[in-house]
Amino acid sequence: MSELRQIAIYGKGGIGKSTTTQNLTAGLVEHGKKVMVVGCDPKADSTRLLLGGLAQKTVLDTIREEGEDIELDRILKEGYGGTRCVESGGPEPGVGCAGRGIITSINMLENLGAYTDDLDYVFYDVLGDVVCGGFAMPIREGKAKEIYIVASGEMMALYAANNISKGIRRYARTGGVRLGGIICNSRNVDRELDLLRAFSKELGTKLLYFVPRDNVVQHAEINKKTVIEYKPDSNQAQEYRNLAQAVIENEDFVIPTPMTQERLEEILMEYGMMELADDYKI
Amino acid sequence: MAKLLDKQRYKCALAAMQTVQAIDRALPVLHSGPGCAQKLSDTNGSSGYFSPNIFPCTSINEKDVVFGGVKKLHSTIDNALKVIDADLYVVLTGCIPEIVGDDSGEVVSEFADSDKPVIYAPTAGFKGNNYKGHEQVIDAIIDQYLKKSDTKQKGLVNIWADVPYQDLFWLGNIRELEKLVSELGLTPNTIFGYNRGIDNINKIPEAEFNLLVSPWVGLSNVKKLERKFGTPYLHIKTLPIGATQTSAFLREVGEFAGVDKEKVESVIKEHEDYYYYLIGRYADLFLENRVINKQFTVVADAQYALGITKFLVNDLGLVPAKQFVVDDTPTKYRKEIEEEFKNLNFGIEAEVSFETDGYKIHEEIKTHDYHGYPLVLGGYYEKEVTESLKGNYINISWPVQDKVVFDSFYVGYAGGIRLIEDIYTVAVQRFN
Repeated sequence: MSELRQIAIYGKGGIGKSTTTQNLTAGLVEHGKKVMVVGCDPKADSTRLLLGGLAQKTVLDTIREEGEDIELDRILKEGYGGTRCVESGGPEPGVGCAGRGIITSINMLENLGAYTDDLDYVFYDVLGDVVCGGFAMPIREGKAKEIYIVASGEMMALYAANNISKGIRRYARTGGVRLGGIICNSRNVDRELDLLRAFSKELGTKLLYFVPRDNVVQHAEINKKTVIEYKPDSNQAQEYRNLAQAVIENEDFVIPTPMTQERLEEILMEYGMMELADDYKI
Repeated sequence: MAKLLDKQRYKCALAAMQTVQAIDRALPVLHSGPGCAQKLSDTNGSSGYFSPNIFPCTSINEKDVVFGGVKKLHSTIDNALKVIDADLYVVLTGCIPEIVGDDSGEVVSEFADSDKPVIYAPTAGFKGNNYKGHEQVIDAIIDQYLKKSDTKQKGLVNIWADVPYQDLFWLGNIRELEKLVSELGLTPNTIFGYNRGIDNINKIPEAEFNLLVSPWVGLSNVKKLERKFGTPYLHIKTLPIGATQTSAFLREVGEFAGVDKEKVESVIKEHEDYYYYLIGRYADLFLENRVINKQFTVVADAQYALGITKFLVNDLGLVPAKQFVVDDTPTKYRKEIEEEFKNLNFGIEAEVSFETDGYKIHEEIKTHDYHGYPLVLGGYYEKEVTESLKGNYINISWPVQDKVVFDSFYVGYAGGIRLIEDIYTVAVQRFN
């Protein structure tokens, strides 16, 4: 049996982290891998496609209502292809500390023995940006050693990716966390592939995979399924299988070299991004 | 870069709990972890109306951090109102709810219609020390409780001095200040201690002026009172100890309040006559005693460091070595306070250091040449170092651990005499 790979997925809010993670998970399942997905987002929508809806009671809701003396099966549900699904959840919007909530949830998962030996992959699907220490929890304390950033050819997505890299570099100094690459969730922006390649290179990493845009993803989401489950024969399903293959085979893990604001803007200029800023074709 | 701070002389802002406890029939309601409350609840002399060890506290835990502690705060206030009969409930927040972002102000505002007033002071430790916390509590009273008064009461003066319990002599001091002010024909109003409380708080807006006797603590409060109620303030930086400063104090207050000069001088004369009668009787002791040397050091907050330095120079003719102000005085006030240390009689100027690190202070005391036995007036931390130098040591600033203080005081003419008694009691005991 291979060693457990713990992977954190970061990226700008709305970029498609949860969709990509779940479809990637479905691809890994087809390879016979045992996967656990831990949603680290108060919105608790990281496992919706694997579970066929928001069927999951979050860790924090469970703690709130039932206390901390609970069994693992109260917070861990089995989804598509035997994947294990957990949602950290969070406080009501506007109160409490969601960052601390993630720390509490992950500690609880450990205490309840969720990290079993038969797991091949654990994914942490983390919200938006690394806004505070709590959202860096999955890459602290020797949990996820691999990180992928989901980005697109949009300016703000790259700003966010660069910023997240600063957080990774910070934790890389003391822990073993490394950046495994950039996953492009395409928005069909002009010269997107070239831009993402150049951006990844500047960060000292690589563009792991370019996931093209396809409306079937939206159709599958409406049906609460991953693309692989919803339309296994579609081109897009194959793209996600390829992404899964790329993750399995990936051996390039680096400490990123985030760039200055000026350098980032230079790259964006080079690829025509700044001039086209208000002329996207989506 | 973090560094070690040795023998710190203050607590965190949440220790403003002591300020609340000094108001008769006022109750602190802590929104904090249980440890914060426990650490702050050991003050001597505050177990009167409500014990320092018994008070409502939300005792928040991890669950409250994640989900917010506002519901717990609400129920704690609600139940405090039901089971404890107080006149004023002051919610004090610690670091945790302030970091998590609990909207404690909103929770407190839900009690606006309750029979008793409930107010809220954000006293997170990271906001500063208990001198700042004290100001936060007074601010909360001004902002959330007091209402503008249509009438001003002629001659009514609110007196504000330093921080109750942090200053162990607070009760005696404020009573003596009241007494001095009333001898000028004015009506003093203070909110701390026995037989004061909510009625006195209610009178604050009616005052003709605010009298602040403190180098810096409370200045923001009296400025706020001026903005909100149009009440002017008189800021006297030096705590008056002994005849020189107390007479200057009475003249300044008298002039500000428009008291007849003859009246002021007659009050002063009466006090000074008695004061110098006492000094005269003990002139031999001062002249012939060889144990109290000329040089002294005060290690205290700005209030005592300044007040005692002026007293020892102006009244006793001693010479200041370096003086240490240990209350972490905000930078913006330091220059003015330094100037006050230069404003001494006989052309003498005192060097002053704003230093919070006890180790550094002690190193300086050890290396200074006092030309004889050093006289050190400071916290209990200075006992050992002074003894090692065969010096004379008097414990006058926090922490005070070698005496029990009910209502003793050092303010005024009488207070000056008390301080001389204390200093020379140490001196005469040396060879007994």
